[in-house]
Amino acid sequence: MGRKKKKQMKPWCWYCNRDFDDEKILIQHQKAKHFKCHICHKKLYTGPGLAIHCMQVHKETIDGVPNAIPGRIDIELEIYGMEGIPEKDMEERRRMLEQKNQGINTMIVSASVSATCLTLTIFLLASGIPPMMPGVPPMIPATPPVMPGMPPGMIPMGGMMPPMMPGVPPGIPPPMGTRPAITHMPQLPPAAGVLPRPAVPAGPSVQPDVTKPLFPSAGQSQQTVSGSPHTPPSTTSDLAKPTFPAYSQSSTGLASPNTGSSTVSKPPSTVTSKPATLTISSATSKLIHPDEDISLEEFRAQLSQYQCSIPRQGQTTSATASVGGMMAPQQHSMRHPIPGQYGGPQQGMPGYIPGRIPPYIQAPPVVPPVYQGAPPRPTIVTRPPVMSPGGHY
Amino acid sequence: MSLFGTSSGFGTGGTGVFGSTTTDSHNPMKDVEVTSPPDDSISCLAFSPPTMPGNFLIGGSWANDVRCWEVQDNGQTVPKAQQMHTGPVLDACWSDDGSKVFTASCDKTAKMWDLNSNQAIQIAQHDGPIKAIHWIKAPNYSCIMTGSWDKTLKFWDTRSPNPMMSLQMPERCYCADVVYPMAVVATAERGLIVYQLENQPSEFRRIDSPLKHQHRCVAIFKDKQNKPTGFALGSIEGRVAIHYINPPNPAKDNFTFKCHRSNGTNTTTPQDIYAVNAIAFHPVHGTLATVGSDGRFSFWDKDARTKLKTSEQLDQPITACCFNQNGNIFAYASSYDWSKVCDNKSLQLLGQYSCYVCVYARERLLPYDKHLDQCHWAVYCAWTNQKGLPILALMTAA
Repeated sequence: MGRKKKKQMKPWCWYCNRDFDDEKILIQHQKAKHFKCHICHKKLYTGPGLAIHCMQVHKETIDGVPNAIPGRIDIELEIYGMEGIPEKDMEERRRMLEQKNQGINTMIVSASVSATCLTLTIFLLASGIPPMMPGVPPMIPATPPVMPGMPPGMIPMGGMMPPMMPGVPPGIPPPMGTRPAITHMPQLPPAAGVLPRPAVPAGPSVQPDVTKPLFPSAGQSQQTVSGSPHTPPSTTSDLAKPTFPAYSQSSTGLASPNTGSSTVSKPPSTVTSKPATLTISSATSKLIHPDEDISLEEFRAQLSQYQCSIPRQGQTTSATASVGGMMAPQQHSMRHPIPGQYGGPQQGMPGYIPGRIPPYIQAPPVVPPVYQGAPPRPTIVTRPPVMSPGGHY
Repeated sequence: MSLFGTSSGFGTGGTGVFGSTTTDSHNPMKDVEVTSPPDDSISCLAFSPPTMPGNFLIGGSWANDVRCWEVQDNGQTVPKAQQMHTGPVLDACWSDDGSKVFTASCDKTAKMWDLNSNQAIQIAQHDGPIKAIHWIKAPNYSCIMTGSWDKTLKFWDTRSPNPMMSLQMPERCYCADVVYPMAVVATAERGLIVYQLENQPSEFRRIDSPLKHQHRCVAIFKDKQNKPTGFALGSIEGRVAIHYINPPNPAKDNFTFKCHRSNGTNTTTPQDIYAVNAIAFHPVHGTLATVGSDGRFSFWDKDARTKLKTSEQLDQPITACCFNQNGNIFAYASSYDWSKVCDNKSLQLLGQYSCYVCVYARERLLPYDKHLDQCHWAVYCAWTNQKGLPILALMTAA
């Protein structure tokens, strides 16, 4: 990559822990996300600069850097790009990166398998079949330290260069069979052991993607899936873990459902679920969702069961329901959405209905009298008797 | 990461369908309302496949029923039939020949409804409510795929009471989509699994979720060769992720965008963030529609990464949507989804709520015109005036 002087790490944003390819991009990001005035959208250069601008121009104080993760919102720290980051946080970052790399290394089953995949890849490239290795390209920039051992022709494997052909050991058979390729592994040059990291995620995914279609033929996939260990897919998107630790914390926070559920979603609880996107200065955002981290349907299903003793809809005489309620069939045909304000449609409907009923299972004669005469008065909680007698229809 | 620009919202014109009301917020888009809608919230909508002539719409609801309407060319809807479960219906789908409808319910069963005979028989059984049901038509087999809150994904030959195959999932199934040979299932705890269906279904890959909140809906999209190539995933946090399975450049090709939020750029008031309830892809143009708890639907172009239009706000959340087989009808269901309520007490305060299924008729979205850097769309709207006669109006926007 670049010079070794670049603290040996990719540029990252201290405020939100995101990684960037270039310091320039990092700075643009900081200006747009963290040093932008929420009132006039002017982009400043530093945190203190933003604070001063808001005070002088808008007479407003801000208490934290916008869009920053908790713990990194200090407005006083003068950080510009990678400069100004406290040494302690740099150490922490380095440690985290190391841990991540370690984790990936331990996932590797054997270096030879990965090297096979590498040569397989090259063969695929050479024969014009584009291998699909979603996990590999993001890894490439991180592996140059490992690369020097490889034969020069093999290095740019993400670059898909045909001239690599001469560099391929001639003993490897065409890439159609994954099994034969693996058995040939001892013949590989000593470079086989050098490239431990990126190929493993490529392994399970390269082999299935040998042929052009999206998925391999099932038989092959069965073998390969059973043959190679299912590596955790965390490598496929590096965004998930290191750059958004706050999110993973928040999701675990949400996962423990608070069964209180006594009030409608309140801002404090939702603040915990959105730590990074909350603009602390003046705006908050609110997630319109029940507090528990279960789906709306699950939430509702448990409520409905809760109310199973109350008839779901229709007349009080209808049988008390079990889950969901078995309504008397008459209910469906005459039940109409009756919001009070829509006088128009309702007039049209009754005339409509009798003609439409025959296709239904219900008996048509039931409809008119109930419709005009005794309107069903649901007693259940979900349908308070808004339907005033007769006339509103 | 929000990469979507916005274009102006769509204005409605022409006469309204119903008598004028002070606030027509139950149908602000003046779309055709389906007659005899279900009595409770609608959980799913599906149009009949191209193998059948005409457009038939099925909708499952929390009133334990699934109804079928015929949508005629003039926009009129005709209720045709319905079937019942003993629990709320959560999902429904058609067989590929259009003769059968499969329904999945909270009563832990799935049924096959033969429309010709109007008979329904049970074809599947789970240990928990079945949340997703899809028909799989492979060259060498056909089956039903059911995903349930019992954390299993089962495949059923409709003739046998035992599943052909049962796959274990890490968590409860929240949503799924199938476009042969690919199937995607999104589960609780932000799980995301892709299955491949050739020869027999098997798990292909577990994907790290591109979203940070609970998954709510998923829809597969196809590439120019009509092969499934990725999916759109919606969460409860007003965000949709576009994810390709094997992109040349994942960091660039995969992205997320925000949607179904209030306030826009106004940061002085708290922004309300709504769940994305359903996503549907236009079968011809590949544009996608999202519907949310905020009561709006929006159309998006994922390749140009722009918003094409957003509807006016309905007075209730929109819970389901789908396009018909040739994409000239868009149906959406307006009904309560419980997103705002947490307890019984609040339910009493909720007041009435009602259910509508609106057919957004005959909209044609033309693809994004790259040369002119604009989105052209011509809209043909068919709706009826108070006498029930169709009026056609043509509006173009450059």
